[in-house]
Amino acid sequence: MTNEITNIVQVVMPHFEGYVYPNEATRQPLWGILIVLYPYITGLVAGAFIMASLVRVFNVKALEPVYRLSMLTAFAFLLCAPLPLLFHLGHPERCFEVMMTPHLTSPMAIFGFVYAWYLMAVLLLELWFDYRRDFVEWSETTPGFKGMLYRLFTVGVTDVSEAAVRLDHKTGHVLSIVGIPSAFLLHGYVGFIFGSIKANPWWGNVLMPIIFIMSAMVSGIALCVFNYMVLTWIRRKTVDMKCLDAMGMFLFYALVVDTAIEGLDWIHRIYSAEEGFRVIQYMAREKLFYTLSLGQVTFGTLVPLILLGLLQLIRRRVPELQRRRMYFGSACLILTGVLAMRWNVVIGGQLFSKSLRGVMGYKMEFAGLEGWFMGAALLCLPFVILTVFVKLFHSERLPSK
Amino acid sequence: MRRLFNMPPQLFRIFLLAVGIVASYSVARYFLTPQSFREYGWYRGAALMELATRDRVYAGKKACEECHSDEYQKLLKHEHKSLSCESCHGPGEAHVENPDNPDVKMAVLHYSLCLRCHEANPSRPKWHKQIVSKNHYPGKCTECHMPHSPSEVP
Amino acid sequence: MKNQLSRRSLLGRISAVAAGALAAPVAKAAKAVTQKLLVSSDAPKGYDPTQHEWVMAIDANRCIGCGLCAEACKKENHVPAPPDYPPCYFRTWVERYIITEPKPGSGAARGETLVDSPNGGINGYPEAPVPKEEIQHSFFVPKLCNLCQHSPCTQVCPVGATFDAPDGAVLIDPTYCIGCGFCIQACPYGCRFLSPVTKTAEKCTLCYHRITRGLKPACVEVCPTQARIFGDLKHPVPDDPIQQFYQNNLVEALKPHLGTEPRVFYAGIDKEVR
Repeated sequence: MTNEITNIVQVVMPHFEGYVYPNEATRQPLWGILIVLYPYITGLVAGAFIMASLVRVFNVKALEPVYRLSMLTAFAFLLCAPLPLLFHLGHPERCFEVMMTPHLTSPMAIFGFVYAWYLMAVLLLELWFDYRRDFVEWSETTPGFKGMLYRLFTVGVTDVSEAAVRLDHKTGHVLSIVGIPSAFLLHGYVGFIFGSIKANPWWGNVLMPIIFIMSAMVSGIALCVFNYMVLTWIRRKTVDMKCLDAMGMFLFYALVVDTAIEGLDWIHRIYSAEEGFRVIQYMAREKLFYTLSLGQVTFGTLVPLILLGLLQLIRRRVPELQRRRMYFGSACLILTGVLAMRWNVVIGGQLFSKSLRGVMGYKMEFAGLEGWFMGAALLCLPFVILTVFVKLFHSERLPSK
Repeated sequence: MRRLFNMPPQLFRIFLLAVGIVASYSVARYFLTPQSFREYGWYRGAALMELATRDRVYAGKKACEECHSDEYQKLLKHEHKSLSCESCHGPGEAHVENPDNPDVKMAVLHYSLCLRCHEANPSRPKWHKQIVSKNHYPGKCTECHMPHSPSEVP
Repeated sequence: MKNQLSRRSLLGRISAVAAGALAAPVAKAAKAVTQKLLVSSDAPKGYDPTQHEWVMAIDANRCIGCGLCAEACKKENHVPAPPDYPPCYFRTWVERYIITEPKPGSGAARGETLVDSPNGGINGYPEAPVPKEEIQHSFFVPKLCNLCQHSPCTQVCPVGATFDAPDGAVLIDPTYCIGCGFCIQACPYGCRFLSPVTKTAEKCTLCYHRITRGLKPACVEVCPTQARIFGDLKHPVPDDPIQQFYQNNLVEALKPHLGTEPRVFYAGIDKEVR
């Protein structure tokens, strides 16, 4: 058939190679930067909370200086977590439907409930029981609007006797225990969302929720290291090295487990080489080279492993300044590495066709809901909120007192 | 009630808050769940009717027979009987609803439409009649073939 | 004193009961008003979906790749199309498979397989990318929603906006869909898309507005060679094409290893079809 007779529309589609289903030939993948950021943020929440619960549940005394900061970090990031989801929906005004008619066979339907549970029953309650005594004291001593706020936060309960404080402590302990599986559920269900999609060989496997949870632990602890060091530097105080060393140790071992599990996923894929393996390999090599080989593996995992591993082995011989730099550098690398991992999972799964015969491209825009600016803004917002929290709730009191 | 359970004030307030939240959720759920939900399954039963009452664009072959029965009968006697009128003439519902309106027309046909199905192509099955148009005849298809009765000589 | 107390408590109890009795109709009326404002309205009943079992079948031996089906679907269902929208929204499309001869001396049974679907096949197909002599087999495969019995798309919808209708169609409620895109990711056959017009998921509805009135889906209507076959398994007609299809053909389903149990069967396709 010649073009002039059948009047073919010459459509130039440069952004895919091979064969992709016609519905997959969109310029942008369906789940873009917003869906990359959501698991990243909830992962940071879960990881920061788990680190805080190491103090409450496992009585790791060395981490006490960073307990409150971890809880506030988790809180600030959790407040921002629904934003990328809301912006991504085609009809955000219908978002309440998830809680009114949740479809029980869908992992996504659990979001409203697990988020509300974690925010209110775990984080807010634990924070309240921890800060209650301070709220009562501050409400009596602070004038003006701030004093009114603190009075509001006391919820009208002003009992700060020994018995009441002991009860606060016990309740906080119980809430922490409840919070650990809740944190796993909050982030694990996202991993299950991807792991349950059997149509997509990059996503649909049983290790996905575990990988998400482990990398969440790693990113959360790294975030706490980062926040603690930045905050201490801003306040011109000295870093508690015992605390930092403890965080570094937990970070290292969490990273080892995370690397092992992700490595297992890779080894299994390469070894069993199922039907989709060829197109996945091509996609990972061509489209994900920078974010996967460089961002996630080399700089996000191997370099921090070496740095933190060295510190575990020869910590005593490394001077304090170098140690602080290594911890800070590792934390930054890990934070970007885990973000790269979320990118590789979410975007990578949409860069090859379900026909297993083609790959698509993705060029992010600057403006718009799924653009660079929005992504940067959503990443900065939790830090802004955290700054407000740190200013409002500043206290040097350790949880055991 | 507080005296009943002997709860300390901080736990009692939290308990009240929790009850309030659950109660307001239940009330909201009652008001915001659509009426026809769960009628057939986990969806709005009314959606079935809403989807079923959309407007048509194609009328269907039978709709043409009422006014164009001559062509219709001729079509059924020859090789193109398996085609619908709208396969070539395009969507017809607008014309069926406004048969006397001269501005509502069916698609204008060009002989190149014949080649859409009959141009030779190695991907087409062998039983299908196909020609290489530039070798077959330089002029119009309709000079020798009548679309409603293709094997009849004009 | 006792009389006053008992009168007051009696009045109290009567008003409590009255309030309780009024609460139910007041709540119902309030719900109706809220529903009108916030939630989509009801429509009258008519067609009984439990009395039908719609199904489609594809005979790839008969497809000539004219693309009339894909074009009719776009027009019938107002699917976003060029020039206003990019050409990546299809409720149905046609794929061309070209299986080439193996390279001489390679020891292989077949050469490489080339697949394409330019604009979904709507405008027909350009010249084959390889010369005729190098083609071992070539055929067309129309694709659409596979009407899965265990549809992964309806399983993952978080709100219940997409569902398996009792009559076999898999449908989307456009006034309830929140546009999260989970169903689009979960469909193994690539038959769903997010409409840029409605910002909800969209897919082949078997032309629900036609089949519920005794018409055929638009693609089946215009197909010149009966490559697309449609029928009602609960009400077979004399010389039912769908029954004849099942009787006369050995069939395949797409991606059977995923356990979706598609109800759309394909005759005449090759192992290379995904």
